[in-house]
Amino acid sequence: MKKVFVYLFLFISFIQAHPHTFIDVYPTLHVEGSKIVKIHIKWKMDDMSSAMLIMEFDTNSDGKIDEKENDYIYKNYFVSLSKYHFYMDIIVKNEIVTLPNPKNFKASIEENRVCYSFDIDKKYEVKGTKFDFYDKDFFVAMILKKEFVKVNNKVAKITGEDKDFYYMYRMELR
Amino acid sequence: MTYEKFLRILVEWQYELNSYISSTIRSLNDENSLSVFLSILFVSFVYGAVHAAGPGHGKALVAFYFTSNKSDYKKAFQMGYMISIIHAISALIFTFGIFFILKTMFRQNFNNFSQIAMQISAVMIMCVGLYLIYEAYKSRKDKDKIVKKVQKSMVVVAFSAGVVPCPGVMTIVLFCIVLQQFILGVLAAVAMSIGMGLTISLAGILSIAINKKTSGKLREKRYILEIVGALLVFTLGLFLFLSSSDLR
Repeated sequence: MKKVFVYLFLFISFIQAHPHTFIDVYPTLHVEGSKIVKIHIKWKMDDMSSAMLIMEFDTNSDGKIDEKENDYIYKNYFVSLSKYHFYMDIIVKNEIVTLPNPKNFKASIEENRVCYSFDIDKKYEVKGTKFDFYDKDFFVAMILKKEFVKVNNKVAKITGEDKDFYYMYRMELR
Repeated sequence: MTYEKFLRILVEWQYELNSYISSTIRSLNDENSLSVFLSILFVSFVYGAVHAAGPGHGKALVAFYFTSNKSDYKKAFQMGYMISIIHAISALIFTFGIFFILKTMFRQNFNNFSQIAMQISAVMIMCVGLYLIYEAYKSRKDKDKIVKKVQKSMVVVAFSAGVVPCPGVMTIVLFCIVLQQFILGVLAAVAMSIGMGLTISLAGILSIAINKKTSGKLREKRYILEIVGALLVFTLGLFLFLSSSDLR
């Protein structure tokens, strides 16, 4: 009975949810020895959401994101995503670690899709490190497929994790 | 199947449908227009049905409402389709209004207007909840007398659930506007809303079926179930109001 009430209230709190935006996640990892020394993440938003964003981002309508537009996106859109941990968690030895501030943010338009790319400037052990991609509010669905991952010397294992009222993709290296 | 696995399937289907709709709209040309046009409408309908199966869209409200009400299955369909019509109209007004009148800052304007609509909706839902609590308590001895009166609140419930525009519908409409496919945008919004209406109706049907089953057992104490349903409607409104202050 207790579980029913917990689910009920979770259900109510997620009344605005169900994904409206889909983001393909393209991680590029560079491994040296037993450590992941470079992490580059690229998001590709779905075509329809991109059309809405391009209207606002590409102010001079040249089909590109220039430096000024990039700054605007960074300050007004990207930074505010820190409260959602940039839709990712890094887990080391089963503990979520503080996500460093993403560096080298760059927005672009590729084949009508808005892309964000950034670096995570920290080194992690290959063994025992996991990367989770999700939006706990489920407004955005983060999509991670094996073919989206680029990594040297190691193989990425992608699994789906069922959470209460949202779905999450997990990546770990083998 | 667990709810979480169900959610995974919903996400994957929506991902594919969303991608299909956008790429198909982009592929529209004079040679393939009719068949492609119709296929977009059909897929929009399916997308709406799948989209509404996830959390949100007033299913909980409809389910709680019918828990607190003696109704037949026809009413559930009426409710579902009233919500979908209001949903479609609301999404079209918001999208065309923001695009053609305000012109810029679509996403920010959309968030601002959504927040206001959601707060209005939440207050209306709370009022309906209080009204249902009052009616259920008043009619604890002779409930049949107030059935007609309570049915009138269906319109308020449908309006409360439908007035908040669905970002999913708005995104399709906006996408069509950007590609100069205005008629397709309107029709796709209608098709998607009809799909959502079907799913919302199913939530109502399920609630009515449970209500019928339990009311036989509860007999004279049925008004307790009605009050619980009404309280849930009120709580839903309250949560919606609180969460509406944190829109993205």
